[in-house]
Amino acid sequence: MATINANVTISSDISSYPISISKTMSMTKSANPAVGLEETTGLRTKKFTSTTAAVIVEHDELTDDKAHKVYIRNASTNRANFFYVAYNASAAAAATAETIGKLYGGDWMLMPYDGNVNITVASSTASETQYLEYMVFADGIVAAKG
Amino acid sequence: MATTATISISSPDLMPGSSLSIAANTTLTKAGVTADLTQMETGVISLVSGTEYRLGPLATEMAGDAHDIASYLYICNTTTEDATYYIDWGINETMIGRLYAGDWMFIPWNASDDAAEIEIEPQGGTNTIEYAFFNSDFILPTAAS
Repeated sequence: MATINANVTISSDISSYPISISKTMSMTKSANPAVGLEETTGLRTKKFTSTTAAVIVEHDELTDDKAHKVYIRNASTNRANFFYVAYNASAAAAATAETIGKLYGGDWMLMPYDGNVNITVASSTASETQYLEYMVFADGIVAAKG
Repeated sequence: MATTATISISSPDLMPGSSLSIAANTTLTKAGVTADLTQMETGVISLVSGTEYRLGPLATEMAGDAHDIASYLYICNTTTEDATYYIDWGINETMIGRLYAGDWMFIPWNASDDAAEIEIEPQGGTNTIEYAFFNSDFILPTAAS
């Protein structure tokens, strides 16, 4: 088994009493929280030059109903642009029912994922190139059939 | 009034011969601009299993067009029980993943309408969560006269 640690720190002075959240988790298997995840689809970087929705995580490559984790980052810097991120077979847009949110330039997200439906994204702009970084920490990968 | 979110993911042995080290930092701002977020809500809640709860406001509880509001949500399941304890989380009546004991998540969220609410449903027994919600436009319910 592998050891994978993910640490988050969120700091905010919105309130008069600034908050600082710091938490570390070890990514472990759903069936046994003492055993670390040991598979990944690898870290990927993808360039987007159109607004066409694209699948970045194909659910049929992963075992269903498991403790997968998905990390996604908009590696671009322009806060005016974003990626829609959706839990959907093929679409990602404002009106898509399972659109999770908009990942603006520089933003990142880490979420647990059950592997039952694709993760799709769509760039908000075709006039500026955007880059997306993403990685799945898998609790079971289904090898592609030849 | 800056709000920042930093992540680091590391593993010495996930990919043999290539240690993994991811680090990213972002300053959370209003949608499409560089102005800081101005509102927040935090909490700790113990939730019994078998019931679905809404976390965060409905789209109609946010000023303006909820599509265009930048919101961010952090949730941590602070439960220390075994693997039978977890929290299903999802949007629009569709479960997306399971937050096991000790797990945390951080996502952007843009409610397209009231149906696109954040839903959580504890399983296995009572789960306790910590959460923080950052935004600039949620509004409070009007008090009854």
